[in-house]
Amino acid sequence: MLRGQSRSGILGSARLMFRTLGRIALSFIQYLGELALLVAETVQAMFVAHIRWRLFLRQVVEMGFRSQLVVVVTGGFTGAVFAAQTYFQFHRIGMESAVGAVVSVSMFRELGPVLTGLMVAGRVGAAIAAEIGTMKVTEQIDALRALGVHQIDYLVVPRVLAMMFSMPMLVAECVALAIWCGYLVGTQVLGISKAYYIHQMITFTGTRDIKMALTKGFVFAILIVFVSCHQGLNTKNGAVGVGRAPTEAVVISSLAILIVNFFLSFALNIFYPAG
Amino acid sequence: MIEVRDLHKTLGNQEVLCGVDLQVEKGQTIVVIGRSGSGKSVLLKHFIGLLKPTRGEVLVEGQPIAGLPERKLGEIRKKVGILFQSGALFDSMNVEGNLAFPLWEAGLRNKKEIADRVAEALEMVDLAGEQKKMPEDLSGGMRKRVGLARTIVSRPACILYDEPTTGLDPINSDSINHLIRRLQKRLQVTSVVVTHDMKTAFHTADQIAYLHEGRIYFYGDAKGLQDSQDPVVQDFIMGRSGDSD
Repeated sequence: MLRGQSRSGILGSARLMFRTLGRIALSFIQYLGELALLVAETVQAMFVAHIRWRLFLRQVVEMGFRSQLVVVVTGGFTGAVFAAQTYFQFHRIGMESAVGAVVSVSMFRELGPVLTGLMVAGRVGAAIAAEIGTMKVTEQIDALRALGVHQIDYLVVPRVLAMMFSMPMLVAECVALAIWCGYLVGTQVLGISKAYYIHQMITFTGTRDIKMALTKGFVFAILIVFVSCHQGLNTKNGAVGVGRAPTEAVVISSLAILIVNFFLSFALNIFYPAG
Repeated sequence: MIEVRDLHKTLGNQEVLCGVDLQVEKGQTIVVIGRSGSGKSVLLKHFIGLLKPTRGEVLVEGQPIAGLPERKLGEIRKKVGILFQSGALFDSMNVEGNLAFPLWEAGLRNKKEIADRVAEALEMVDLAGEQKKMPEDLSGGMRKRVGLARTIVSRPACILYDEPTTGLDPINSDSINHLIRRLQKRLQVTSVVVTHDMKTAFHTADQIAYLHEGRIYFYGDAKGLQDSQDPVVQDFIMGRSGDSD
């Protein structure tokens, strides 16, 4: 009797677990489907509707130009501390001249794009979700539609183009500042020879690394902008929803960047193998 | 001008509209009344394709719009303007920007013509000279007026009003009611007004449709509504809930 009861209890728990897992899997698939539809609609809009270049330029200023401070500070301090930590390890085995190469290659291939992506997801992704989400709950998007303007043409396309244009430049800026600050710390503070530092850096850094950084920046831009626009366009429940949309946009974008970066690193290594 | 046939709409698990039939003739003003949550705004949004029916047909000038994709609805929407309950002004633009927006989107590029049309629309809603104000600097009544000005600036053939007096004081409500009537006379537009304010209904309606439990329960003129002996209709007109203290 008791054995029968515990058996049915285990079966019940297993059923509940599978049901919960199934529900999570279904909602994840549904989310990916909605995201894919948004991408498809946006690509279609880029070809069938006219591009609003004025809005595009405004978004470039908002997303690209105004994100520079946060990206520059992130890049600069990361490069500086990375150079210092690398030096502390390499100094013990007499390889401190390789610090420049390590900082440069790591910043180009991994840290630069990822850190820029995370910072931009926090600053721009949240702003996109909050702005579009507020428009959604205050009927401004319905008003746009009622005036014969397609919401994707007006809200999504300019933001997508502006992000795709701005992100690679922000990544380049972040990496440049990181290398420069790493160089300053390495040569001025830690006493590494300037000639060795630069020579090693130039020897081990190639155009393949620059291409990898810019490609990653471009892919992360697409991730951030579509995730954030989707969150904004699907905002519900008034002020609570508007509060939730930016948080979810940042969390999902950041996780997507970290996960996609892993696979992207392997894929891009085929085209741009590390020297 | 607008016709709905056997319109059904389910939102979540709730069937909000269960077979609405309504015809709005050209130049006519129909007021749709009903309790809060009865589906009046949902019905109105179907007239312009902002919502898709679960079942049934919506025809604008004889053309079925229910199955049209969003991009093809643009032309229909240029004929039918809507005043949203909150005004739905674009808060990133000032009053002038809000009013110029539909003209710009319609392809008008002459700045003087745009400025003249904006000024004319603002004058019609008694807000002449308020072009530079931002939406956050406007009162509730002014927001609705600017929203109405944005609707009429592109000269639609039909105007839909979603709860035009909700949230306004009696003086402002009366002023909006007169404004609706004045615009009907001046612009000769077809109008559909959704409200639960009986004063608005009696002041503006040629015909009144009472939406009750997802269907048109009563349809007729204001006198017919007032003379109706139906207890459901009378309770609504008199505002009787049936509750006691």
